[in-house]
Amino acid sequence: MKKLLAILMVLVAWASASEVYFDSRFTLWKDATIWIWALDGNSPVNANEFCLSLRRNNTGIGEPKCRQLGEWERDSIATRYGTWLSNNLEKGLPSSYLRVRHPGMAAKLQTLEDNIVLFLAPQGKNIQVAIFDETAQEPKAAGIVRANNDKIALSDDIAATFFDKRTKRRLTKEERLKQQTEPDDLYKEVPHLKFWAGMGIGYSQAHFPLTPDNWTSSHTRSRVKNYRITKDSVSLWNFIEDDDAFLSLYAGLTWHGFIGVELMYRYSNRDMKTDKSDTVYQELDHWNFGQHDIGLNVLFSMTYPINPWLSITPLAFIGFQYTFYNEDIEHKSDVKTPSRAYQYRVKFEDVYKGALLGIGGQFVFKKHYGVDLRMGLSSRGRDLYEAPSPDAGAAATTIGRFTLDCFISLGFEYHWTL
Amino acid sequence: MMFKKSILSIGFAICMLVGCADSYHWTVSHPFYSKAPYGGIAVTGLENAFVITRSSWFAKRLEIDKDSIQIKGTLHCRSTFETEMRKSYGSLLVLPDSVNANSPEESLKLDERIFIKGRIPEQGVSLKDSAGNVPPVILILHEFIIGTDLKRENFFDYALIHNESGGIRKPDNVSAIFSYTLWDNLKQRPLFSAVDEIQQPITTYKLNNLTNLIQMAVQKIQKNLYAGVSK
Repeated sequence: MKKLLAILMVLVAWASASEVYFDSRFTLWKDATIWIWALDGNSPVNANEFCLSLRRNNTGIGEPKCRQLGEWERDSIATRYGTWLSNNLEKGLPSSYLRVRHPGMAAKLQTLEDNIVLFLAPQGKNIQVAIFDETAQEPKAAGIVRANNDKIALSDDIAATFFDKRTKRRLTKEERLKQQTEPDDLYKEVPHLKFWAGMGIGYSQAHFPLTPDNWTSSHTRSRVKNYRITKDSVSLWNFIEDDDAFLSLYAGLTWHGFIGVELMYRYSNRDMKTDKSDTVYQELDHWNFGQHDIGLNVLFSMTYPINPWLSITPLAFIGFQYTFYNEDIEHKSDVKTPSRAYQYRVKFEDVYKGALLGIGGQFVFKKHYGVDLRMGLSSRGRDLYEAPSPDAGAAATTIGRFTLDCFISLGFEYHWTL
Repeated sequence: MMFKKSILSIGFAICMLVGCADSYHWTVSHPFYSKAPYGGIAVTGLENAFVITRSSWFAKRLEIDKDSIQIKGTLHCRSTFETEMRKSYGSLLVLPDSVNANSPEESLKLDERIFIKGRIPEQGVSLKDSAGNVPPVILILHEFIIGTDLKRENFFDYALIHNESGGIRKPDNVSAIFSYTLWDNLKQRPLFSAVDEIQQPITTYKLNNLTNLIQMAVQKIQKNLYAGVSK
């Protein structure tokens, strides 16, 4: 037991001797080619043994190839940089301070293609390790491992410390060339004109979320008695249900990705809020209004390409709408003549005019298929200002002079550009 | 009420001015720059660093012939610089420019738009004096520009270097703009780099004023080398 503990402690001490100063996640290829660059030309590891260590420590590495990088070991420019690196490689120093400055050495790194250079330099009881690839002019990873005369154990240590990561398939020559020349997916010009058409569903209600209930409750709670009597006739929500789903159809365009217009049509069916306690309604089979809104919005938007298959366009809109109500009323078939109140029931105006204001976002997938979320306010009414007339007191009040609600909607769109 | 309003508007104006003004970092230190040189230092770059702009203005006041102002003026600056450095750092080793002449000119970044240009020794090669000694730290003077009413951002901010100054007018100050690097010659890394600017108000301008300008510059360099030590 004591022996086991001692071995464990030695193992722990041995394991903690290797230290990674930084590792910026270099790409480790499957079937990688590792070039071992020993500063003094006297490699502390054997190339073939190192390959075997890699295969032992990383099952995904496939069949790596390793060899001594003799041409760098004999090269004075590389040797100078190597010596410098060995002098400067210290814990806590960011990799950018280890950048290659000599153009000759920079050229060597740039032409590495997908080969990985493993730099090894003795430093007292340790071996300094640095890893280079073609993508940077500085080491991609660096650290130290405990020096060991047993070359196999040292190889294992290096492989476990620096090469224990997921591997990627190496690209063929053609694939590399293609990758270098293919355009950036995220780079695209803003189209001059972008069109869309869509349909959606939504929900509207008079009460605004997060506001006190009593702002709207006088309208939403009131009921219609005797076909026309209600507490207040300024808002249409005194007569018909305010909280209802609607269906919408719309089409729009954006100019230079910034400003746009949109034409929309919405339909919802609103029930009349008849007072059930009023016996006059016993003759009634149903009474509701089809609400048709036709509106035009101006949009301000900005498109952000998130990745090749998704772009997000936050937008704000302001517009106006006309609303028509289409009455659908019928008394029960057994009622011969409806009541007098039925004949003189409330009549809405022919058309209401109102404003729309809101924000939203279009999520466009694969450049064509959009999901659209909107929320906002809409109003319906008649002109608030009328010239005062001498018999104003006698004039009938306009029903639904100012009706306000909020809405939220979800749409599905198809986009195309010119 | 009126008073309050004016305070508000002044505050707003200050905010705008501060918000719009560029602030630069004129120095950069290596993370391992832990000890400023003390007692001894080597210096190089003195032969070619000094440049006097507006030669005729200086020639007239320093009573040196216009044709030789560059040579004589800069020689004076150079010797003053050496004398002053010797006063500040007991032992001074002056390396000729030739020790570093083979290095290519490189840029060193101080800030987003501020780059200094100079010859920086190669990685892995220590500079040696004629006797073959390796000085541990070397002050490399890249540029020392003397002129009137100069601003360092016009020389070192790459977005401004193409700006031309308006017509010549009566100058208020003699300016010195100098860039330098403290070089760790053992590990071949830049410990500290800076661009400094000195404005010296003009009353009458004589040679001893120029001497004084160089003295101020050396003091500023010494002060900055201390201030730049990484905490």
